[in-house]
Amino acid sequence: MSLRYLYALAREFGDPPMDQLPDTPGIAGAPVRLISHRGIVAAVSDVPESDFAEEPLRAHLEDVRWLAEVARTHDTVVRALDARTVTAPMRLATIFRDDAAVTERLASWHDAARDALDGLTGRHEWGVKAYLQVPEVDVPQAEPPTGVGAGHAYLQRRRTERSRTELARRQAMQQVNDLYASLAAHAVSARTNPPQDPRLSRHAGIMLLNASFLIDTDRNDEFRAAVARASRPGGNISVELTGPWPPYSFAKLEAS
Amino acid sequence: MAALLLRKVGGILTTQLDYVTEAALPAPAPASLVDLLDRLLGAGIVLSGDVTISLAEVDLITIRLRALIASADRVSLR
Repeated sequence: MSLRYLYALAREFGDPPMDQLPDTPGIAGAPVRLISHRGIVAAVSDVPESDFAEEPLRAHLEDVRWLAEVARTHDTVVRALDARTVTAPMRLATIFRDDAAVTERLASWHDAARDALDGLTGRHEWGVKAYLQVPEVDVPQAEPPTGVGAGHAYLQRRRTERSRTELARRQAMQQVNDLYASLAAHAVSARTNPPQDPRLSRHAGIMLLNASFLIDTDRNDEFRAAVARASRPGGNISVELTGPWPPYSFAKLEAS
Repeated sequence: MAALLLRKVGGILTTQLDYVTEAALPAPAPASLVDLLDRLLGAGIVLSGDVTISLAEVDLITIRLRALIASADRVSLR
């Protein structure tokens, strides 16, 4: 038995309207079909119930390699669609029973989807992350006294290190808040995610900002220039830009 | 990054301050899997509330993930 994996909603395109994404297979190589309703398409592919029903899906999502493969495929499909028409990406693992269920949802989502797609037309997402590079802390290392005083001296050094790092972090947060506000001035919309877990992202330094910005296409260069100016060499904040992304972070529907 | 350039537009020399050409803009960093998962798990189209429904009753399943694996290898998109 097959379920339907929904990748994205998009504005119908093509003359006659395209009903399948050419050249871009979905999960497990299945074709990506475009189910159409009143000018909006749902991009779906058939996925095995044995993998994508609720219980097996939960188990699979604990497996980072399985998750990575599905995420990559999902993103590839969304980008292929986004290259052709305005696209509102879905979150990972939005599953339907069959085509009729998808069409029914398209009907109930129609107005919200149309409004969301209108708000995304001619716009893309850029990601900006900012990191505090923790400086080498120069604390005078006097010879510790032996005995009872040695422990105290150690604790004193540790306190000093922590308070210097904390001060650096507080100052950096102010800069980062200013950075976010200044970049948001170039954007239609902006939002933040929690900083990434360094065990997953393996980033150096302390991540202070994990933001996304929705930018009009004709303001792309202006935005990128603003990010470049923010990445002044020699500062203690490093800034990393990713994108352009399909508008994952700005595709909001008010569920009916 | 500011550059003073003279451009000939419609036969008239004009100046443009702070004009940064496409070639001069630093290339974006490649997106990592974690960057993608930030978006696929935390964003995209969201139904109001977290809904997990048995397949027998309703058609839609939306899975909300908890913290990912602490020991995950860094898996890049390319």
